Amino acid sequence: MASTAKTNPGSGGVRRQVSSDHEGFLRYRNFRWLKLAAMLSLIAILSYALIDVTPHPGGGTWLGYTLGAIGAGLIVWLSLLGVRKRAMSAGTWSLKAWTSAHVYLGLSLIVIGTLHCAFQFGWNVHTLAYVLMMIVIVSGIWGISVYASLPAALSSNRDEMTQEQMIEGIAAIDRQLNDAAQPLARDQADLVIAALEQDTFAAGLWSRLTGNYRGCATEQAIQRIALADAQGSGDSAISRVEKLLIRRKAQLDRLRRQMRLRALLEVWLYLHIPATIALLAALTAHVISVFYYW
Amino acid sequence: MTFRLRTIDFTADGRKIVREKDIAKPLLSIGRSAENDIHLPDLAVEPSHATIAEQGAGRVQVEATGSLGFGLDGQTSRSASVDCRTGAELRFGGTRISLGLEDDGAVLLTVELVREDESKDTAEKDGLSLSSVMPGKRTISWILAAIVLAVFLALPIISNLTRSPDLKQSQIIGDKAWTPGPLSAAHHQLETKCEACHVKPFQSVRDETCMNCHKAVHDHAPSGRLALARAEPGLGGKVLWGVAHAFGKPGPGACVDCHNEHQGMNRMELPKQQFCADCHGSLKDRLKDTGLGNASDFGRIHPQFSPAVMTDPVAKTFQRVSLDANPRENSGLEFEHKVHLDPRGGVAKMAMTLSGDKGYGANGLVCADCHRPSEDGVRFKPITMERDCEACHSLVYDKVGDTFRKLKHGDVAQMVADLSVVGANTQPIVTGRSRPGDYAAEHVYYANFSPPGGTGSFVQRALAKDGVCGECHKPVWKNGKPGVVPVTIPARYMAHGWFDHASHKQTKCADCHAAAGSTSASDVLLPKLAQCQSCHLGEDAPKGKVPSSCAMCHAYHPTGSAPLLTRRNKR
Repeated sequence: MASTAKTNPGSGGVRRQVSSDHEGFLRYRNFRWLKLAAMLSLIAILSYALIDVTPHPGGGTWLGYTLGAIGAGLIVWLSLLGVRKRAMSAGTWSLKAWTSAHVYLGLSLIVIGTLHCAFQFGWNVHTLAYVLMMIVIVSGIWGISVYASLPAALSSNRDEMTQEQMIEGIAAIDRQLNDAAQPLARDQADLVIAALEQDTFAAGLWSRLTGNYRGCATEQAIQRIALADAQGSGDSAISRVEKLLIRRKAQLDRLRRQMRLRALLEVWLYLHIPATIALLAALTAHVISVFYYW
Repeated sequence: MTFRLRTIDFTADGRKIVREKDIAKPLLSIGRSAENDIHLPDLAVEPSHATIAEQGAGRVQVEATGSLGFGLDGQTSRSASVDCRTGAELRFGGTRISLGLEDDGAVLLTVELVREDESKDTAEKDGLSLSSVMPGKRTISWILAAIVLAVFLALPIISNLTRSPDLKQSQIIGDKAWTPGPLSAAHHQLETKCEACHVKPFQSVRDETCMNCHKAVHDHAPSGRLALARAEPGLGGKVLWGVAHAFGKPGPGACVDCHNEHQGMNRMELPKQQFCADCHGSLKDRLKDTGLGNASDFGRIHPQFSPAVMTDPVAKTFQRVSLDANPRENSGLEFEHKVHLDPRGGVAKMAMTLSGDKGYGANGLVCADCHRPSEDGVRFKPITMERDCEACHSLVYDKVGDTFRKLKHGDVAQMVADLSVVGANTQPIVTGRSRPGDYAAEHVYYANFSPPGGTGSFVQRALAKDGVCGECHKPVWKNGKPGVVPVTIPARYMAHGWFDHASHKQTKCADCHAAAGSTSASDVLLPKLAQCQSCHLGEDAPKGKVPSSCAMCHAYHPTGSAPLLTRRNKR
């Protein structure tokens, strides 16, 4: 939503033109930040290739310190997106511009960070900072890719329902189940109670990400009650409960697909943000340790 | 078929009131207007909202009649067919109508107001978000940051600040995580002792610390002269050193400037030619009084060799003279290479005769007959009279029975004593020095070691020019006693340059040393720079030439031993 304000002297007033063409943060201003980040990376690569630092390249040479200073500055600035995004504004320094720069400059850190350390890795705090940086970058790439692909899947799974409606649908079936199960024998009633009492949202990270719910009480109740139904009791109450449970399961599956997509959409931030803060800590330790043992 | 309407209300104290009413109609209307069969006084409901029509077999058809739909099992719908045996839940505004089937076949509609607190329960949509089951990002972040800072920063610093001042007992926990890479092979034992070099926090490694162990390392030159000799850095260099000094780095010229550590468990990388050329390429511009010529590349700019030649064998003084100045050496020895190497001369003949005994070749003497390589092959063992000369230059002066008496080389007093008692029974050295076979008097190779027509005592005649001593040595009188000028044949002419003969054994001696034509011991038989340059050029020598950086012949820290590059190449 790029908006421009134009002064028109003829009319003696300010006319505001709002263009509604959407331009995402990735292609902001015709990939301005992609170009800038690519140029920064190219300069870093050329410097590394053409400048013969003595005795050999590394973080401890002047080029290494320069790249390191640029990299550390970038990391601090990139992590400030968390602060910046809570204050939206428009224009050149809009949040969109900031996000665009965040993405592309963040990618250029792969080049700057790697050339700073000159491909020297080890079991130390320096490589820890590097690894954390790469985790942050890779999780960021993942985040962008899921933001690009999952919302469509999320929308099609919702099928024009709101999330409240999904939950309310299950609640409606649950109320009917509660009524319908009244004539059932103790053991069958227990199955229904177990299905109704199981908290859909208690599923942990793994179940949400994989969509694998092995202990699903609704599924178990369906199987047992279907068995009782098939054994020919001919009880209409049992077959009604069975139908309701199957409907419940269908609603539950949709809700779980929704949860899975939401989890896939959100989980990268659980890596990106804590790894960023851990990276800031490791970066501090990296810089201080280098000067401590100077 | 009838519809049975069951209305559930609650009194103010929560008591349930259930009313039932049968409506025998095929179609029920639902809405806000009073004329509807099911009248819902709710502004969210339209005056005429929907109809429920029975379809038979326990099914009903629900149709929205207004512009709004209705809720069916939580979803908004405008038209639906419901099997009342299974049931369904309809929702109109704040009212819920459950559909069911009574035993008598009546369709049961249970009408109930949705209670406020119930609708709140559905507000748990955040349960869909991962945040409902994950610890907060902020919490994870703080924990991770705290762990990293504690383990990798606080622990080593505290441990370092509280360590024992005694290096042998000090132990710092956690600083292994700080090492940017393994130490060089030579310093490997210090791998766990960071504080051995990093003595003070935030102070870069000092030369004094290195010299705690490396006590015998010699400076390249006195530091004052080094500072003078160092070329003024360019703008970039000035900025770099400005920044380095701002951060407390020593140098230029500090140990760590070259001896870069933590670069892996290997040896120090050889300095590039440019490292030397930075100062030596234009040394004379800055160090006016230096005796050294400018040197920046062996193939292009390198001064002529200046060997240290002996000028006074008695006082043993040496002088460095450029080979271009045709230096003359006075080693105290009278010797002519040409005579000895001439394949058609008398020496060659004699060598041929002696070849069986002494291993001389059938073509006369060669260099190796006298110049024997040292154990390492770099240079040559000193020439000794007994091994290298005496086979021909015999010191025998007498024969008693089958036994020969000979003079002891190197001991003039003994010679005087021996020759003083030469009596009537002795075959005098001047007339009949005997050698077995053809070497005896009257035979082909009989040699008379006294000067022709010589007079005086045996001693005087031996020391005189062409006498048995005098033909190689110069006689002198020392403290009133006869003696000879001491001979000093240098094993090495260039103490600051390294030459390894073993590496050059493919080359003939004569290619570099013009000995065959030398008629005087004062000739300095060293090859000139151009001779070396026929194979050796600078670091960037073209293919077919030997790239020779400074470190092939010169060491930065003068030790007298082979320079780094040569040592590495040998291994």
